[in-house]
Amino acid sequence: MRAAHHAVPFSLARLGIVAGNTFLEAVRQKLFGFLLLLAVALVASAQLFREFNFGSSELKFIADFGLGAMVFFGSTLTIAATAQLFFSEIENRTALTLLAKPVWRTEFIFGKFLGVFTVVGVFCALTTGLLVGLLYQRETALMAASPEAFAQGCLIHYGDLVLIGVLQWLKFGVLAAATLLIASFSNTNLYTVVMGFFVLVICHLQYLARDAYAQVASLPLRLLVQVLGYVFPNFQLFNVADQIGVGAALDPLVFVRVAAYALIYIGVFCGLAVYSFSRREI
Amino acid sequence: MTPAIAIRGLTKDFALTLRGVKLRAVDNLTLDVPAGQVFGLLGPNGSGKSTTIKIILGLLEPTAGECTVFGLPSRRVGSRLNVGYLPEAPYFYRYLSGLELVRFYGRICGVSGRRLRERAQEVIEWVGLGSAAHRRVGTYSKGMLQRIGLAQALVHDPRLIILDEPTAGVDPVGSAEISELILKLKKQGKTVLITSHLLAQIEDICDRVAILDRGKLILEGAVNDLVGLQNRQSLIVDSLPPAELQALRDWLAARGHALDAVEQPRTRLDQLFLSKVSRRQRGGESA
Repeated sequence: MRAAHHAVPFSLARLGIVAGNTFLEAVRQKLFGFLLLLAVALVASAQLFREFNFGSSELKFIADFGLGAMVFFGSTLTIAATAQLFFSEIENRTALTLLAKPVWRTEFIFGKFLGVFTVVGVFCALTTGLLVGLLYQRETALMAASPEAFAQGCLIHYGDLVLIGVLQWLKFGVLAAATLLIASFSNTNLYTVVMGFFVLVICHLQYLARDAYAQVASLPLRLLVQVLGYVFPNFQLFNVADQIGVGAALDPLVFVRVAAYALIYIGVFCGLAVYSFSRREI
Repeated sequence: MTPAIAIRGLTKDFALTLRGVKLRAVDNLTLDVPAGQVFGLLGPNGSGKSTTIKIILGLLEPTAGECTVFGLPSRRVGSRLNVGYLPEAPYFYRYLSGLELVRFYGRICGVSGRRLRERAQEVIEWVGLGSAAHRRVGTYSKGMLQRIGLAQALVHDPRLIILDEPTAGVDPVGSAEISELILKLKKQGKTVLITSHLLAQIEDICDRVAILDRGKLILEGAVNDLVGLQNRQSLIVDSLPPAELQALRDWLAARGHALDAVEQPRTRLDQLFLSKVSRRQRGGESA
């Protein structure tokens, strides 16, 4: 059983063990169950509001409402879970015991990320599955009631809805990696959560600043905004759900590009988190 | 023979303020922990014991000097393959059962499959938590936490075990049982580095001790050499009547010796306590 060699290479198996334990901790936390229930309830309640006329088709309203609930609760879950699952290790000093074993800090950080990413993946899969089910049920009922409105076939592209769920998952992955980066140098859970929400807002609104400052004459200011535009990912790119419910399909190339964009940011943020955490004194 | 731990000129400073004010936690420490011995690292609070242990475990980078574990620099992850560590005031994943916890750390250390199942069960039985193995760690008492901590430190069969205050907050019975476990480890050829404020316990189980104060090594050596009074011997005899005692004094004086003290031998309070208090079924302890 004793190791014959002293070299301990980076191990995906150890990374997986850390990730599995992180996932287990999250699942056994009440926060995950609470947010999941709220999201499921909200997605399901979209059906209750269908009597209102907001100027959109009923199916589109259900899709938008459901995806909105997924984004809101998913973002909250991502930031809260990442901060909590990281700081529970630091504050309870379980990180001390774990890192005193032959574990690379890279494995620890990527394991934490993968654990949170899996939690958020389960969340996205459940809410997307529920939304698909709701839309299918309603669309089937509407088709039976007024087949002339569906002369062109189904309005909902269910495959696209799943792809949008995947893109939301990747977006939450970027947010989790950014929160993990903040946590790697932050001293408190609260600071990490607050900064995580700041990052979320900036990432959602940065395109406005980019557009506004693109016309500014001052070169340094323009450069600064451009640099910040690269530092903070543009979450508007993930909003590809506008065509859902109106019969339009999602361009697969857009999906691939946005997914690659997310994976690059996840890699960079996690890499920076590893660098920062490797210098941290436990 | 390569020492289990070799520390050379180790210094560790902590920055207290952004303006560069520093606290020197460990100051030019040089120390060897021989393999196969129980070594006590002593000192008051803030003397640098825990900082030294964290450097040995690669959790902290020294400001200066070097530390090796079985010849490998402690900053290398590989140096921790043969180290088991029980932290001070251990706190483990509350949502895991004792068995799950030990298996988790075993897998982290590369033990797997049937060997892991057997070894996890073995160390849990060994620390006396067999009947509580399937209970959540969150329900464990302080003493049980120390025991499960010991089990996770031993699951991968390390050559060096580092115990930081293993008896802190543990009752005398639990403390005595931990001492027995440490002596069993020594019999198995393990090296044990232990810190404790229970000096009587350290004296009983350690081969060597080092005393730190304000980060500096002030004393190091074999326990018997350090605490044994030179040129003194004690004789324990049946109660002597005053006349015979006087005769003994005279006999010694005639040979150039002196009877320095006549006193009633005492048992130690912890031994008296342990002889009177029954040892519980530790695994069934409540939180």
